Amino acid sequence: MAKIKVEDLKKIKEEVQKATSLREGGKRVKATVHMGTCGIASGARKVLNALVSSIEEEGTQDVMVTTSGCIGICSREPLVTVEVAGEEPITYEYMDENKMRQVFKQHILDGKVQRQFALAKGLE
Amino acid sequence: MGFEEARVSDALLEEFSQEQLQQVDAIIEKYKGKAGSLIPVLEEIQGVLGYLPNEIQQRVAHGLNLPQSQVFGVVTFYSFFTMVPRGRHTIRLCLGTACYVRGGKRNLDRLTQELGIEAGDTTPDRKFSLETIRCLGACGLAPVIVVDEDTYKQVKERKLREMLERYE
Amino acid sequence: MKIFRSHILVCGGTGCHSSGSAEVIKAFAFEVEKRELKDEVQIVETGCNGFCALGPIVVVYPEGIIYMQVAPEDAAEIIEEHILKGRPVERLLYREPVTEEVIPYMNDIPFFGLQELRVLHNRGLIDAERIDEYIARDGYQGAAKALLEMTPEGIIEEVKKSGLRGRGGGGFPTGMKWQFASQSMGEVKYVLCNADEGDPGAFMDRSVLEADPHAVLEGMLIAAKAIGAHQGYIYCRAEYPLAVHRLNIAINQAREYGLLGDDIFGSGFSFDLEVYQGAGAFVCGEETALMASIEGRRGMPRPRPPFPAHQGLWRRPTVLNNVESYANIPQIIVQGGDWYASIGTETSKGTKVFALTGDVNNIGLVEVPMGTTIGTIIFDIGGGIPKGKRFKAAQLGGPSGGCIPVQHLNTPTDYEAITQIGAIMGSGGLIVMDEDTCMVDVARFFMDFCQDESCGKCVPCRVGTKKMLDILTDICEGRGKEGDIELLEEMAAVIKDSALCGLGQTAPNPVLSTIRYFRDEYEAHIRDKRCPASVCSALFTSPCQNTCPVEMDVPAYIALIRANRLDDAYKVLLKTNPFPSICGRVCDHQCQGKCRRGQLDEPIAIKHLKRYITDNASRPTVESIPVTRRERIAVVGGGPAGLTAARDLARRGYSVTVFEELPHLGGMLRYGIPEYRLPRAVLEREIDDIRALGVQFRTNTRVGKDIPFKDIRKEYAALYLAVGAHQSQRLRIDGEDLKGVYGGVEFLRQINLGNGAEVGKRVAVVGGGNSAIDAARSALRKGAQEVVLLYRRTRQDMPAQSDEVAAAEHEGVTIHFLVAPLEVIGVKGRVVGVRCQRMRLGAFDASGRRRPEPIEGSEFVLDVDMVIAAIGQVPDVSFLPKDIPVTKWNTIEVKGNGNGRTQTPAEGIFAGGDAVTGPATVIWAIAAGKEAADEIDAAIRQRNDEPPFQRPEEERIDIPQVIDEEVQEQPQARMLELEGSERVGSFAEVELGYTEEEALRESLRCLRCDMEL
Repeated sequence: MAKIKVEDLKKIKEEVQKATSLREGGKRVKATVHMGTCGIASGARKVLNALVSSIEEEGTQDVMVTTSGCIGICSREPLVTVEVAGEEPITYEYMDENKMRQVFKQHILDGKVQRQFALAKGLE
Repeated sequence: MGFEEARVSDALLEEFSQEQLQQVDAIIEKYKGKAGSLIPVLEEIQGVLGYLPNEIQQRVAHGLNLPQSQVFGVVTFYSFFTMVPRGRHTIRLCLGTACYVRGGKRNLDRLTQELGIEAGDTTPDRKFSLETIRCLGACGLAPVIVVDEDTYKQVKERKLREMLERYE
Repeated sequence: MKIFRSHILVCGGTGCHSSGSAEVIKAFAFEVEKRELKDEVQIVETGCNGFCALGPIVVVYPEGIIYMQVAPEDAAEIIEEHILKGRPVERLLYREPVTEEVIPYMNDIPFFGLQELRVLHNRGLIDAERIDEYIARDGYQGAAKALLEMTPEGIIEEVKKSGLRGRGGGGFPTGMKWQFASQSMGEVKYVLCNADEGDPGAFMDRSVLEADPHAVLEGMLIAAKAIGAHQGYIYCRAEYPLAVHRLNIAINQAREYGLLGDDIFGSGFSFDLEVYQGAGAFVCGEETALMASIEGRRGMPRPRPPFPAHQGLWRRPTVLNNVESYANIPQIIVQGGDWYASIGTETSKGTKVFALTGDVNNIGLVEVPMGTTIGTIIFDIGGGIPKGKRFKAAQLGGPSGGCIPVQHLNTPTDYEAITQIGAIMGSGGLIVMDEDTCMVDVARFFMDFCQDESCGKCVPCRVGTKKMLDILTDICEGRGKEGDIELLEEMAAVIKDSALCGLGQTAPNPVLSTIRYFRDEYEAHIRDKRCPASVCSALFTSPCQNTCPVEMDVPAYIALIRANRLDDAYKVLLKTNPFPSICGRVCDHQCQGKCRRGQLDEPIAIKHLKRYITDNASRPTVESIPVTRRERIAVVGGGPAGLTAARDLARRGYSVTVFEELPHLGGMLRYGIPEYRLPRAVLEREIDDIRALGVQFRTNTRVGKDIPFKDIRKEYAALYLAVGAHQSQRLRIDGEDLKGVYGGVEFLRQINLGNGAEVGKRVAVVGGGNSAIDAARSALRKGAQEVVLLYRRTRQDMPAQSDEVAAAEHEGVTIHFLVAPLEVIGVKGRVVGVRCQRMRLGAFDASGRRRPEPIEGSEFVLDVDMVIAAIGQVPDVSFLPKDIPVTKWNTIEVKGNGNGRTQTPAEGIFAGGDAVTGPATVIWAIAAGKEAADEIDAAIRQRNDEPPFQRPEEERIDIPQVIDEEVQEQPQARMLELEGSERVGSFAEVELGYTEEEALRESLRCLRCDMEL
């Protein structure tokens, strides 16, 4: 990558927004696993692996998986945010591998929000 | 000069492989001449060897052209550095009041027997280091043992071997 | 094709498989085989059905019934019950999660809603390992602006305007610091970032570096331009491997984009930086030590000046800021200093990030506008203290900081305001501590930390912290001496003045601040060898015994229940408590709050077990004790304090007479506590035991009226005034003198005198304490059709015992929270209603509860025909002569601490119980009575030049030393209660007592904290 100029900042911004916008990126769902030290210590890596392998098993093409840092409420880790195109993002708390598989199957694939694991909807 | 280097290497070869020592030298070489590189050098070498015995400190001092006293001073100042080998896994056994009366002491006896070492020591194969701590504040889970990052609650004497077998 | 009657579908998806579905399938196959159902029932392993969290899942067709969390052992029951008998197995049925529960919006949750994200504005939104995502959130716009459009002076001006102060702890204005470095002469300058966050319980920097590393790089880049530096270092502690990893990725990506390196953005400006990993030394958070460490030496501080802005790293001008400070910079440049300064207080601008940890429900990272109060952070954002415990203090600023006690919860997060109350803002570690924390132990912990981390260069820190630690350890282990507190204070002052660096200068802070706010706790350790929080284990045997005001030997009598030696158990009870049957029913059992078992599942039901002993042990006959002393003693008041003192004095050979105004003995036990909680026969039995000792009782005798005060004063060698607090506090509102308005204690007294108190149809009780609950439940039993309780605060603020509150509600009492009466409305002199006002919670008061404030225009009228004011009680001290002083709360004055806690200023006159302390509990009254007996006896002997009293040898009771090696989680044994009309329609005792089986089961739960192996 060549050195960027100040105009490039805007271009990168637009490209990222295009890529992360679900509609334009051709994805239907974005799932973010929050992976700070706190999340990882409470098992976020296992949750991430469970999500990725569920996607592989199912052969799902329209789900984007990404990771991010701590959202602050460390005592409820591991946390996963699921955003289905056109709907409010839902953040799930106290996740484990089995809950992740359930959220994948029921929410990501079937569109049924798993209220019993949900912390909140929307973004901060 | 050449004689001295050879002698140092001999003593070290009993402890470390030729390959490890080559890595050590490569690390020293990489940082040579760079100001303030002593601590990163020691960190990297400890990453390779697991600890920093006197002979290695001499080698570093020689390689970076520093007085050995400075190397020794730095090694002993920072808690991250150790001059004795540590186990790959650290077992911390709680001996707070609650753990003590609920079998913590028995667990300790069994562990010292099982590992053949006293608290504060490391097994000869450097698999485990055993430490005792005063209270973890998890008295409701007593007796508690922490291995690396894993917390074991209500540990029973007869389950100790099973616990140890989980670690490579 | 074969047709089966039933299909059993066992999920074999990954989730269920990992929870053991293979074993379940085997178990079903085995059961089907065993019962010869192979031709009727087919077992199928299916793919994932999505309920992985509840796996293994089993679905039985044709009914389509879903079972969850099925274990191999359940297979037999499902086959037997469901397949053969057609009855679904209830306990394994899957139930739809409650759906009415609405998922809240992020910002409706106080934890998120009250935060203001600036430093953390990217949290949870970007992938820290992808620079593009940072740029997409306007990253590097600040750097572009600073490098292309601004002069160094302009940057510094903007930062000064923002009012940003160093977030690492010092709070020095960042703009000023940059200006000094900028004005320093020199070709080579450095920009350093302090990421050596070492305070125990602080993790703000770690989180920022992990979640948003580019914000720090960008901040440093801007600083570099401002001071003219071209090289930077981030000094990160070795304990943060993930932060180091992400920083290195970020640096490499920034280099690839040319955002680090030469000619950034084509501006001609060059800057590069590297991460320097620390090696585990807390002192390296000090700036000069940090620089020494980067230079490859031992991390020892050096005296300042010269300041780093003039001579820093490698003796070059250097700017050092911490992670959070730098992370603020890009937004200050983009949005302007004025924007930044638009929130905060006069001297503290912007936001502050806190790491909230300890005894708080929501542990985590919070960013709030400066000026947000500590109470808001802990109670609103943090969600308060877990397990209903009380807040004690919060440590702010780690080992360099101080504690913030309950009375300062309204303190705003403002550098100056925090310093004023003895803490420091520090880097933002906020450790919440509940009532189970010992403040001396906390001080010792931090001192231990500081002396361990002292670099050893200067004597005050090296030797001073060690000496202070020795004193603190002595205090914690029962070797404290008078003068230790003063010595600690003196040494603290010297160390603060003379230590070389911040570590030493601030090391005494936790000690000073805990002494400032919790001196009594230090004194308890030193004088009484007592740790009130039950932490310092050298000072007690078990937390329950340590917590009990009369130190009942709880583990011993529980062990004796287990051994079925109830007679011995009863003897153990009587050793310290003359009223065990009563305490087994009405004690507020503070011991249970400290029970270690509570950390596992639930505390032991100590109160219930005590009652079990007294209900079932045989009662030894009490012999009268011969009077061996010539001094006669008068006790005024026949309540628990007076009776206990009388008993203890009689047992020492004194002739004791108790004067009681009312017809019966017992005080509040008889006239305050209703019979459904304490049957009169139980009370009489224990009073009879005291009578049997030879104590004289004169009831219906009011001192000062039926018998002149001066007469008893002349006749008796000592007087013990234990008259209790039997007058209700007035509401001080209009209409209080109407017919139908009662005081709480007066109402209860009328009922207990048997005078047939008249009770209205609709009764309003005002108050939130035990008396209010007693009055409400009694009114119901007296035939009131409706009883409402008005309380001006919230449920968790009620002083009443929570089980009493629950019982009242169970019986039909309605509680209105946040409601206060304004006026009692009357027609023709009789109550017809009460006008009320709704309240909302305001700032914290000295008790740590939020003060209720009236809501304008929220008034409403409740139609009631009776009002009971139970908001508090005061002693009736009108009988006292002038030389016995009373306090402004109308309680009797005692000399207090060290000079006799029961001795009044008048010679030979002692006082105790509610009359001195204001309304308290039975067990505290008993403790007061015991203390009074000790002090009265000691005073008489001292006057006579006699040796002190020697306690006679007590009967030795052998306590079994048995514990279980394995502890199974198991909740408290519940106690059966009376129900229905039998309960609310009469004053029969509600709690029915444990059966033998229940008591034994409960006794087995004791962890025997008292035992030493």
